[in-house]
Amino acid sequence: MKTLKILTTLLFFTLILPIQAQTADEILTNYFENTGGLDNWKALEGLKIAGKVNQQGMEFPINILQLKDGRQMSSFVFQGKEIKQGVYDGETLWNTNFMTMKAEKADAEQTANFKLNTNDFPDAFIDYEAKGYTVELIGKETTDGTETFKIKLVKEPVTVDGVEKDDVSFYYFDTENFVPIAVESEITSGQGKGQMSKTTMSDYQEAGGLYFAYSTTQYVNGNLIWTMSMDNIEINPAIDESAFAFPEEIAEEK
Amino acid sequence: MMKKLSILLVFFLAGMPFGISQTLENIDGKALFGDLKARHIGPALMSGRINDMEVHPTNSKILFAGTAGGGVWKSNDGGATFNPIFDEYCQSIGAVALDPNDPDRTIYVGTGETWTRNSVSIGDGLYKSTDGGANWTKLGFKDSERIANIIVNPKNSQEVYVGVLGALWGDSEERGVYKSMDGGTTWERLLYVNPKTGCADLAMDPNDPNVLYASMWEFRRTGWSFESGGANSALYKSTDGGKSWNKIHNGFPEGNLGRLAIAVAPSNPNVLYTVIEAEKDERKGLYRSDDAGASWKQLNNDFGITVRPFYFSRIVVDPKNEDVVVKGGLSGSISRDGGKTFKNLGNMHSDIHDIAFNIKDSDIMYVGTDGGVYRSWDGGTTMEIVENLPLSQFYHISVDDAEPYNVYGGLQDNGSWWGPSSSPGGVEARDWNSVGFGDGFRVLKHPTKNIIYSEMQGADNVWRYDVDRMLTKTIQPLPTSEDQKLRWNWNAPMAVSTHQPDRFYMGSQYVHKSEDMGDTWEIISPDLTTNDPSKQNQEDSGGLSVDNSGAENHTTIFTIAESSLDENVIWVGTDDGNVQVTRDGGKTWTNTTGNIPDLPANTWCYHIEASVFEPGTAYAVFDGHTMNDMTPYAYKTTDFGQSWKSIISEDVVGFVRNIQEDYVNPDLLFLGTEFGLYITMDGGATWKKFTNNMPSVAIHFIDLQKRTSDLVLGTHGRGVIIIDDISPLRSINNEVLAKNVHFFDTPDTVIDETSSFSGSFGTETQFVGPNKTKSVQIKYYLKKRHTFGKMAMEIQDMDGNQMAELSPGKSKGINIVTWNYRRKLPKIAKGKTFSFGGFTAPRVPEGTYKVVMTKGKETYEHSFNLVYDKNSPLSKKDRELKNATTMQLYDMTQELAYLVYELDEIVRNAELKGDKKTVSKLNALKETLVITTGDNYVGSAEPQLREHMADLYSKVASSYDKPTAAELNNLAVISARFNKAQQDFQKIRDKYLKKQELEFKSFDEFLESR
Repeated sequence: MKTLKILTTLLFFTLILPIQAQTADEILTNYFENTGGLDNWKALEGLKIAGKVNQQGMEFPINILQLKDGRQMSSFVFQGKEIKQGVYDGETLWNTNFMTMKAEKADAEQTANFKLNTNDFPDAFIDYEAKGYTVELIGKETTDGTETFKIKLVKEPVTVDGVEKDDVSFYYFDTENFVPIAVESEITSGQGKGQMSKTTMSDYQEAGGLYFAYSTTQYVNGNLIWTMSMDNIEINPAIDESAFAFPEEIAEEK
Repeated sequence: MMKKLSILLVFFLAGMPFGISQTLENIDGKALFGDLKARHIGPALMSGRINDMEVHPTNSKILFAGTAGGGVWKSNDGGATFNPIFDEYCQSIGAVALDPNDPDRTIYVGTGETWTRNSVSIGDGLYKSTDGGANWTKLGFKDSERIANIIVNPKNSQEVYVGVLGALWGDSEERGVYKSMDGGTTWERLLYVNPKTGCADLAMDPNDPNVLYASMWEFRRTGWSFESGGANSALYKSTDGGKSWNKIHNGFPEGNLGRLAIAVAPSNPNVLYTVIEAEKDERKGLYRSDDAGASWKQLNNDFGITVRPFYFSRIVVDPKNEDVVVKGGLSGSISRDGGKTFKNLGNMHSDIHDIAFNIKDSDIMYVGTDGGVYRSWDGGTTMEIVENLPLSQFYHISVDDAEPYNVYGGLQDNGSWWGPSSSPGGVEARDWNSVGFGDGFRVLKHPTKNIIYSEMQGADNVWRYDVDRMLTKTIQPLPTSEDQKLRWNWNAPMAVSTHQPDRFYMGSQYVHKSEDMGDTWEIISPDLTTNDPSKQNQEDSGGLSVDNSGAENHTTIFTIAESSLDENVIWVGTDDGNVQVTRDGGKTWTNTTGNIPDLPANTWCYHIEASVFEPGTAYAVFDGHTMNDMTPYAYKTTDFGQSWKSIISEDVVGFVRNIQEDYVNPDLLFLGTEFGLYITMDGGATWKKFTNNMPSVAIHFIDLQKRTSDLVLGTHGRGVIIIDDISPLRSINNEVLAKNVHFFDTPDTVIDETSSFSGSFGTETQFVGPNKTKSVQIKYYLKKRHTFGKMAMEIQDMDGNQMAELSPGKSKGINIVTWNYRRKLPKIAKGKTFSFGGFTAPRVPEGTYKVVMTKGKETYEHSFNLVYDKNSPLSKKDRELKNATTMQLYDMTQELAYLVYELDEIVRNAELKGDKKTVSKLNALKETLVITTGDNYVGSAEPQLREHMADLYSKVASSYDKPTAAELNNLAVISARFNKAQQDFQKIRDKYLKKQELEFKSFDEFLESR
């Protein structure tokens, strides 16, 4: 009986509410509820993701490690060799140079901007108010052919070429099930500066009681740049602490 | 429990087809068109008309260009490059303004260009963004048509003034000076004169926001005349924030006034400049006040200052020096003595509309012209063009049937051009070829010869250009008797015939026909227009400044269409509303205009499309905007014009200039309006707006390239825009829309083996149009977006062998997935560095393949053919040799990788066991197999077997050709070397495995491993 009641309530909730006005907070509440529960999201300590990236017809494996304390790492495997990119050890952000295969530090501005996001694991929307972020429901918009709620997220300002700039992104939550299916933001530095970056998410599946998008696609100004599909997501993985550390120069092996 | 349930429920609901069923009638374009996306090819080398320049008040890297027909563009890099930020809205811009109190976030855009030439687009109101242009809210002024200025009080963001110029083509009361005290939510009209007089310029005293100056201008345009000036034009001043206004004419010329500009010197607000259009030529020109408008002194009336006031009426004062003043004009003029004398700005495209000074350094200037934005680093002496603003304003386009096909077209003030629809490295500025001077309009390719017809305004010249011989002659029809005056439209019609390749038509008030490419002409019609003499007095046009450029020529033929089914059927539409048809090659003509229901008399017939299905069927579209009628009109006849039926639905916004019929499905039509592209798949019962990478830009002409089914759009502000292969739309119907998944037919795809050396030299800051893909395109429709659960796609040969894995599109609507007909990269032996040859993936041979798509529990299959280019020099035998050799090397590369894997495993094991001898032997062997030292650049080591093998593999696989003798010899050497390595390894391996137990991945497991 109780189950029936819950079911009915949920049916009502999911079917009727989207038609009525929603607040951004209600949408976020639904999102976390539908993907495993806010408490479970908050309890998450780390993620280990194994997947494949496809860029212009070339496919290569990728491993991603993200931890609650902000440490993270991506590594691509080319010809059996692991190339680490975007590694953050709590202090230093570093990448592997493709020519020398050696680690090099990211510039100070990029590192400082990166540090601002280290409290966003596993989701920037968790406790967004406490982090000083603002969230605003812009309205409904059709994206990927589907009706969505467009939510604007403003985080701490970033610094771009010495000038402070708002850190704004727009999330599109499917009005039917409240999961985000796209994120959009303006590229603030580099050659693509001023162009719009858009990531779409799909293939939501369960891992450790939480729902993750197992497929993401990256566009710049509407042009497909790469797609990533996850083969496996492991929650709260065991990690090798030393893997994050910036490797000091090691003498060439002979 | 609760959580699990909720998740389950979401899945359950996600799979439920709720709501009303999806039909052509109710599906929205955004839910249907999916991956069908517009591709912009420019050109940007001549750019297009700029209406307004705006700089950021504190960040010198940020500036904006408000364009006449191409939207709002923002630069973040001091004008090196720009990006569009207003594509979803009206693209004709009057003014862009930043809130000086919040310049990073708050932007206002007033739509509707204000330099009121004959071909101007219209605006649809005022917009505001509070997030730097990511989102926009329309604040109103929907009937304003043209907004000249927006000023935000630098001390109060809530206080906003707007100068509305208003309607050009008719009376309107939405004009004058407006003020908002709540950031644009509500507005009060502060200054209004009459329905014919609008605010042409508005300025604020930078030190005292209550002091405002407004110029009011009496003006009117019709299809056949222009009138600038009258008793109501005046310059006003308010000192109380717009509550009261007084004329400030002390020292002004006597009599009626025309368009006036006003500028306040930022460094000394007592210094004002105005440019006055007056009755007497000697009293026109620049006036200066040194007492905030109490009195005025005339300083200059040079040509550069007085020329065409309706088109050039902008004064900009150097923010740091009240005596440096710049005036827009044919060339632009700059004075450094307070306006007494002027010199021209440096060489650039003519017709200068606005100028902005850099906030830090007045030597840096940004200038908006009819040919884009220019930068100067030396105070206006030397000008350089911004190369990535594809704002070209086409009046007309056409295509040929070359491979890749070319696009031809004429531009506002920028001549005539042709360029390729795709080009190695993308469509760059250097790909475009000029084929006419002046304003360009229709450009047509001879159906069979390499000859191009082009023209300039009013058919003053009609060129016939022999491309191969580079020979040009003019061929326009000339009067055949002394009293004959031919009336040519500014944009005079021409047409070629599908029946007789050398036939060429032109239209004045008569239809002229030539059977020898324009050498001899015959008039085959009477005057087909209304021949209304009251619309033929162009020498009196202009008002206070005579302006008889030919742009107002009227009562002319505007469109000619010969039926592709019957050469005796010719349709003609005129600018004064006639639709005439002949069924006997011009002997007799019937005016069918009276049969068109609900069409106001004399509405401009902009285009007639003769159907390719029935000779009696045609489409006609009408544009009433020059009579102040913005209604969309499109009609269809199936009986040679005896009856016409409207095919417009209420979905369509904006007046219509063009319609294109599909070649296959008669119910599939494309409509170009002032605000973008509309598509119907049910013969006009419902229209869907197409918005995928497609700005709301005015579309002047549409063509459909027959072989490729590419829809080619000539836009008036965003250049040529192409929607590649619209064929999926041919089969969209209610039955398809009801299916969960529907694969569209995939035409046979030619395996592209071409390559070129074209690099991206010098294009860092240039616009480069993307190419059409040469990959095979898998197209399918999804009824619902795929969000939950796994969805995957792979390509298999017909025996089920996997060729490639692809990422399927998940959108609701049409999805397009491309495959470059290549297998996966081979697995490469692990070394110290990369083997670059190993980054080559081989092309599969021609044949039939199938796409296998799994979505949840369902599997869908769809097959398609890959074919070799029929012009390829390779025989079947050559192909077999090439494929076999490539795959031999591919396999050998992977076998070597497996060998090195086993070797590494044994080394690891032997090290653990302390078997130094085996380790040493294997390492010695390994050093001959792969590179074990050095880096990927100039620190690289001597190449080993892996490198030699992969390089040969890459060389053979990348070539279009069969393997050369040298390659086959080299293959023998490498094979022998590999065999030897295998034998050497086998010995050590076997010996070691006798001593130690060691498990290896199988070859297949190894290939699958990461």
